[in-house]
Amino acid sequence: MLFSKECRRILTSLTFIIYCFVVGLFFVSQYFEECNGVPYVPDEKISEDHDVIMHGAVDDLATEFFANNYVCYPYGFYKSVRLKEDDSKKVEECLLEVTGLTHDELMDIRDSGEKYYIERGVQETMYYEIGEMPVSDTITYERFCELMGKVDDILGGGSNYKVDDIVFRYSYVPMTDEEIEGVISDLYDKDGVAGGYARLFSDYMGIVLGIMPVFVTAALVSADRRKRVSDLIYTRKISSFKLVFSRYTALVVMMFIPVIFCMIAASIQLIKNFDFSDLALYRMFTLPTFWLLPQIMIVTAVAMIVTEVFSSGIAILLQFAWWFHSNMSNGERLSGSIGKFDLICRHNTIYGRDEFLLSRNDFIFNRVFFFIAAIVITALTAYIFELKRGGRFNGFRLFGKDSIFRHKA
Amino acid sequence: MASGCLAKIVSSDTRHNFLLHYLAAIGVLLLTPVIFGVSRLDEVLAAQPLEIFLPLMGAILLPAVFMPEQNESIRDVVRSKKTAYLGVCFLRLIISVFIITLLTGAFMLYMKNMDCRVSLRLFAGSFATALALGSAGFFASALSDNVIVGYMTSIIYYIANFGLKDKLKVFYLFSMSAGKFGDKHWLYILAAVLVAAGFAYRKFVKER
Repeated sequence: MLFSKECRRILTSLTFIIYCFVVGLFFVSQYFEECNGVPYVPDEKISEDHDVIMHGAVDDLATEFFANNYVCYPYGFYKSVRLKEDDSKKVEECLLEVTGLTHDELMDIRDSGEKYYIERGVQETMYYEIGEMPVSDTITYERFCELMGKVDDILGGGSNYKVDDIVFRYSYVPMTDEEIEGVISDLYDKDGVAGGYARLFSDYMGIVLGIMPVFVTAALVSADRRKRVSDLIYTRKISSFKLVFSRYTALVVMMFIPVIFCMIAASIQLIKNFDFSDLALYRMFTLPTFWLLPQIMIVTAVAMIVTEVFSSGIAILLQFAWWFHSNMSNGERLSGSIGKFDLICRHNTIYGRDEFLLSRNDFIFNRVFFFIAAIVITALTAYIFELKRGGRFNGFRLFGKDSIFRHKA
Repeated sequence: MASGCLAKIVSSDTRHNFLLHYLAAIGVLLLTPVIFGVSRLDEVLAAQPLEIFLPLMGAILLPAVFMPEQNESIRDVVRSKKTAYLGVCFLRLIISVFIITLLTGAFMLYMKNMDCRVSLRLFAGSFATALALGSAGFFASALSDNVIVGYMTSIIYYIANFGLKDKLKVFYLFSMSAGKFGDKHWLYILAAVLVAAGFAYRKFVKER
């Protein structure tokens, strides 16, 4: 059977052995060691109070606008943005609408503020002590978010006003002792302990599974060309669809097996550390499967199609770019960071159930989308394979006849 | 005569095998100011782009040194030629290192122009990081005869620096961003050992 043949090929490939080693190492060094210690209990929560959010954001925006120095972290790394006059004017328009002030009133607030300096890098930036800014009575929260999104776009992203992060940035309030107890009891009562640990498990494993499958896939797909058996395969009776899907399924199944072993190890650790009656152990298998399987599927599917159309090198380069973008654009926000199209979903805590549930719909959409996209892309790969088989397509050429894209294993 | 032959090897290699790699390295250079702030930075902030992103050029260029001949039949043809195969690989390595030096230097000049506090030790640190990252892939590629394994090794080493900072100790790549400038000589040693071991394996084991 083709499926088992492909599984055997994968099992004996060096890239798969390295993949298993890295997945295991990441699991032990990140998740396992952390869960052996006492977990950090959060002492702040999201209030979702629109007034608090709007006041906090407007104060920051006004301060940065007056200094014309916006601190951004587009990929988690410091970037200081200074706007030209045109863009600064657009930000001012947003600020005027949110505050309900006129230009002159805004400048009065600036001029009445005391100056102070903050040193960042080799520059000293002058700020104004402006106190609390007003927020217009007529502005709705939806319009406010729209304007903040516009400001974030002008600043090039990663600013304090990124709409997805604005709730998390400005509405954290300290928790009372009762609330902290409530968070801990949520872990036991609502998450069955394993639910919270399953989120942390998936968070860590998602990082490594966002990049590692590309190597196993690229090595397997390009091996045909490298070993010069492509022509031999093309002449076989088997349909392209069956061949590509057998290979794809074998890749996904084989790469998910080490993850299942890690789930089992994580479950054993939970049984060791907690009272068995407190544990809803099935959650350590269901949530990570829903979280991580579509991720392996989409990375594998994209790697297959890019290797088939271009080369394995391009597949690795593209996947690294996607991984870097997805991983780093979360910035410092490591929990509840789940967008509709994020490859890597982050929720780096066993608590924060409410925070996770805030993004629940996006999370479900995200995983279902990638699941379907992976199957569509694989079907497309089968079609491309069929074209190549019939000699109607031979990969894209970038630089003319002796293309550097063609046939590079 | 010899220089003409070398020039021919270099130009042929560039056209047929490494143009995409060189373009990707330039791509990394051009992307750096998009991802990182590069104006008016002190030495520690300036270290971030120089050791977190720019050294990816090493991971792109160095593991690919043995790539063109990873197909056995091509290598058989190359072996039959007068020019020593490992000599050609060494030449490729030198060219790659030269390109990394050139692009890192150019980027530092750009940063200096943007009023960043850049220094020779930042350059040496960035260069060492690129070499260490690349040589890990180079060594794996030499051993496995598979460039994908080379890239995989470089990327694993890179990712490990985000989560295993304490375990990597002197081989931690991003030490300058944490304010430590003294550990980079270990990366030069690592790179030299891995490159020498890679060539030694090729010469005494693989090519015998």
